[in-house]
Amino acid sequence: MTLASTTAAAAMLPRPRLWGVGRYDVAGQPVYFEMSWADWQRDTDWARAMLADHGVGAGSGLIVVGGMPEAPWFDPVETAARELGAPFSIGEIWPFEAFRTAMYARRLPITMIFGMDRTVTEGLGEDLAGVLAREPAIGARPDAVDVLSRAGAQPFLVARLGPALAVECPYRTGGHINGAEWRLAERGGELFLTTAGPRAHRVSHRALGLRGALAEGQCACGRAGQRVTVTG
Amino acid sequence: MPDDRFFEPEIETLPRASLTALQEERILELVPYVYEHSPLVRQKWEAARVKPADISSLADFTERAPFLTKDDIRQFRDEAGDPFGGLLCTGYHAASTVFSTSGTTGDATMYAHAWDQWHPFWAATARDLWEIGVRPGDYVLGSGFKMRGPLYHAEQMCGAIPLMVSTGIGAWAGALDAIRRYRPVCATLTGLAMAELDHLSRSTDMKDVFSSFKGATFAGEPLGARARQQLESWGVEVFVWTSTGDVTAAFECRQHNGCHAWEDCVLLEAVDPVSGAPVADGELGELVATSLDNPITPMVRFRSDDIIRMTTEPCGCGRTHARFWPVGRKGDETIVAGRSFVPTDIWRALEQVPETATALFQLVRPARELDELRVRVGYDPGLTASLADVEDRVAEVIMAAVGVAPVLELLPEPDLMARGRGGKLPRVVKS
Repeated sequence: MTLASTTAAAAMLPRPRLWGVGRYDVAGQPVYFEMSWADWQRDTDWARAMLADHGVGAGSGLIVVGGMPEAPWFDPVETAARELGAPFSIGEIWPFEAFRTAMYARRLPITMIFGMDRTVTEGLGEDLAGVLAREPAIGARPDAVDVLSRAGAQPFLVARLGPALAVECPYRTGGHINGAEWRLAERGGELFLTTAGPRAHRVSHRALGLRGALAEGQCACGRAGQRVTVTG
Repeated sequence: MPDDRFFEPEIETLPRASLTALQEERILELVPYVYEHSPLVRQKWEAARVKPADISSLADFTERAPFLTKDDIRQFRDEAGDPFGGLLCTGYHAASTVFSTSGTTGDATMYAHAWDQWHPFWAATARDLWEIGVRPGDYVLGSGFKMRGPLYHAEQMCGAIPLMVSTGIGAWAGALDAIRRYRPVCATLTGLAMAELDHLSRSTDMKDVFSSFKGATFAGEPLGARARQQLESWGVEVFVWTSTGDVTAAFECRQHNGCHAWEDCVLLEAVDPVSGAPVADGELGELVATSLDNPITPMVRFRSDDIIRMTTEPCGCGRTHARFWPVGRKGDETIVAGRSFVPTDIWRALEQVPETATALFQLVRPARELDELRVRVGYDPGLTASLADVEDRVAEVIMAAVGVAPVLELLPEPDLMARGRGGKLPRVVKS
């Protein structure tokens, strides 16, 4: 079959060290970051554990709100969902694409919407109530937490922190980051990031242009390490 | 093993007889499977009194198997409450992903796949990127949208490294920065992207920016003559691509003589849009697609509404798979006050007016036959001194092109671009 033959052909080619190159902005300036295949694999493993904590498994269905430019953060989440036996769909991060998130939520047995941002949340308009009525777990970006909470949801935090991703566990006491890969610091309410693992992208105490607070110590979910709250 | 020209030399150059035999084998496996598992196929076949036992060859299939239409899928979805419109052959949870069409013509249609490493919709696209010249270690500027799945899988299959930066509406200044830094060899463009690049070209040396490119792909809508000329002037070889009835993608090769449909994963037919009878090689017909490699939501003789010319003649590039030339959408023809035209007539007219040369427009068409021609046109505020003057000149060129005086609604380009979906602007809208 076509998928099998093309996969076999691809396997014969040398695979570059890099999975892809992403970009985040700090104070309006672009910062490019390289992501190796090994980085991607470790991020996928971490995402799988986080999703499993939220009960994602066979029988689940996800919408991941985040398009191609966010693939360095969200492709590992999508891959993790697939590996856990949960089909996923993509809701693009444009206001005019909010209809797609609503359509999937309306038509499919969706149990989690991961990565809702304010643009899509507001773009849903009157559909928002219908989406929330189906009671999916909602992973919300920092700019959408308030509006979703006011609409009656109890979202967990999903935040891009420069090249890193923070995800709250079901105990919702701040977003966990993968401590084997990244280390956060906070000074005067500003967040800084340092590479801790064998990442292709090395940063040392880099300002993220984000404000927030850190907590450290054992979480009720069993994870140790840093948890972050993003305030702006 | 990929060689200098072909990603899969043996399959891409399979002799026609072998290709037909392969398709027949797959069709004969598909027929009993979909009859058993696809509720919509079962319904249509029972209504047509066709049974799998009636199909013992490819010829039987193209002669007897009933067509499916988008309306069939929507009707089944609405009546049966089945989100997949009767196409799903497995449970939802047997799928890995559920994606959807752009939705520019109304409701988006959902389709699902099961996969392990690479998304099946884009797997054969690795052959097309390889043809453009994408090679291991190259950078490729990623596609702006992911609603049909991760196109970057095809790039990674070639051993390339996707640049995952936004190429959506309003993001091209940033994308050019990424191009300067990483020197990619390829990018995916759309009409809306071209409108932005047109503006950026006034302050940017585009020839220098794109000097690393081996090619750029373009899809979503017809490539206007002006946009093609612009890309060529920037030294960019453009490869038009399109969808084959939502089964997979089809790209031009370096011969630029039709889009190659990969016939090991799609059975392509061109039929008379009215009678459904097959049309001769090279004649205008409606594209009909059957999935040969998707056991989750296979399309079976799906009438795409796309009007094409198709040939099974081998291409000058050495590939043997069918090629087709997209001509337009069925039903695009509009009649106003007895005068008939298609949207590309308006497109070409707008390209003549500098302030509207990006040809961003919408034909407001509540019905196919109208008394009044209403067109919503985007203009470049940076070039516009007098809106009334632009309106006069636009009315003049449209009148000359279609023979009817239009009622115009002029909008600044960004306002009109904001009505886009999936990287393209719906050109025919009801209101």
